[in-house]
Amino acid sequence: MIQFDQVSKRYPGGIDALKNLSFTIAAGEMVFLAGHSGAGKSTLLKLVAGIERATAGNVLVNGQNLSKLRASQLPYVRQHIGLVFQDHKILYDRSVLDNVMMPLDIIGYDRREALRRVRAALDKVGLAGKEKTAPIRLSGGEQQRLCIARAVVHRPAILLADEPSANLDRAYALDIMELFKSFHQVGVTVLISAHDETLMEDYGRRILRLREGQFAS
Amino acid sequence: MKHYLYLHWQSARTALAKLVRQPVANLLSLLMLSIALALPISLYLTVSSLQDWIGRLTATPQITLFMEMSAEPADHAAVDATLKAHPKIASYQFVSRAQALADLEARHALAGVAEGLDGNPLPDAFVVTPTSLEPDALERLQKELSGLPMVAEAQFDAHWARRLYGLMALGHHLTLALAVAFAVALVLVTHNTIRMQILARRDEIEVATLIGAPDSFIRRPFLYHACWQGLLAALIAWGLSALFVANANPAIQELARLYNEQVELRGLAPRELALLTAGAIALAAIGARLATRQHLRQLAPR
Ligand SMILES: Nc1ncnc2c1ncn2[C@@H]1O[C@H](COP(=O)(O)OP(=O)(O)O)[C@@H](O)[C@H]1O
Ligand SMILES: [Mg+2]
Repeated sequence: MIQFDQVSKRYPGGIDALKNLSFTIAAGEMVFLAGHSGAGKSTLLKLVAGIERATAGNVLVNGQNLSKLRASQLPYVRQHIGLVFQDHKILYDRSVLDNVMMPLDIIGYDRREALRRVRAALDKVGLAGKEKTAPIRLSGGEQQRLCIARAVVHRPAILLADEPSANLDRAYALDIMELFKSFHQVGVTVLISAHDETLMEDYGRRILRLREGQFAS
Repeated sequence: MKHYLYLHWQSARTALAKLVRQPVANLLSLLMLSIALALPISLYLTVSSLQDWIGRLTATPQITLFMEMSAEPADHAAVDATLKAHPKIASYQFVSRAQALADLEARHALAGVAEGLDGNPLPDAFVVTPTSLEPDALERLQKELSGLPMVAEAQFDAHWARRLYGLMALGHHLTLALAVAFAVALVLVTHNTIRMQILARRDEIEVATLIGAPDSFIRRPFLYHACWQGLLAALIAWGLSALFVANANPAIQELARLYNEQVELRGLAPRELALLTAGAIALAAIGARLATRQHLRQLAPR
């Protein structure tokens, strides 16, 4: 489902965020991505989502080689991926419902079907009844759930989450992990990054450990 | 296809709703655009109305042959015969001096003027309508006719009108130049409005891009906003120009009546209104397109 083939990423300014990475994640797998801050976790996830482009190597997602796609095609790749961003990217000037609605607006669902899906997604993450709420009035854990609802509302085949449990206390963090597990159980390919490995170890999943842009052995 | 149309309909509706929801800020730029459009339109209407009128005056040029005061009926008959046989004359009419005086009295409400005069000062005349409208041919005919025996003078009726017609052509050029200037202004104003909007909605654009919105999706609401703005500006400008026509008409008619003429400023014809609307929308879309291209490139997270 996700395949990196000798992928490197150098940012303008000369920082090598990823160095010659190769790995494969099978469809339906749930994989963790570990590493300290600055190890390249966010960069790796952005390459999968086509938000950043590899400077060398091939990134294959869902059978498409993103390195060969034109920039104008990348948004359509992203429409089949669910993204939970490290910095949330919530729009605070609109309601919870309107935030979660965004991916469906972009894909172009008709209003009634979109509403149905948004309610289902909010229900799934435990935010039912908070549709009209302003996101600023949600707790940290609830905001993270809002991000997850937005990431899954269009039922993507791949779900990427960048440090979704950061800044949450352990009980909340475990709740969130359970949520991702439930998506994995219905067949979604899930890739979650975290700098804290203790949460991952309980799950007995494969862990990709990054250190300075390379896999730590 | 239906889906595609649905998306567009959605954007168009949302854009209009947004436009209506911030009435003050939008009203200002809308008014600016409308006035910018209304100015050349009003000038255009003035010039083209006058042009129509002058065109009517000069469309069938006539040459008036004034006979010598001493001309006898035999002289009239000679001229009459020449005119009848002349290949370049479509028709002609004899206006006797008595008839001319009566006309003058009737037209200018100068009843009784004849009593004050020592006899009738007006000559007999022939009013000739030539076949050709071509200026050179007319001039030659005029020369030829003025050379007929006992003809004092052959005069173009609308000589001054021709001059005015030339002046109007100048007015036409002025209108065109003004229209071009304001068209550019329309593009720039729209560009600026849209630029402000893009800046105000940076976060939204960033998030939308991150979760898979193609440029067309990002651009669409701004394009629709601009198109609505162009449409409304065109319609308001139309209203303003109608207002101008309604206000200017009494004064112009008053003036025209002094010269015993009928001039009326006209409003925009449906075809012209359609052209104006389409033009304003197209120009606004160009402005928006430029603004989005420039700024989306800057905001792109790649
Ligand atoms: N947009 C960017 N421009 C330049 N350097 C960047 C950019 N994003 C990340 N980096 C650098 O790339 C390296 C990896 O960053 P990142 O992928 O964010 O790591 P992590 O998510 O594991 O903390 C860091 O050294 C970081 O400073
Ligand atoms: Mg990171």
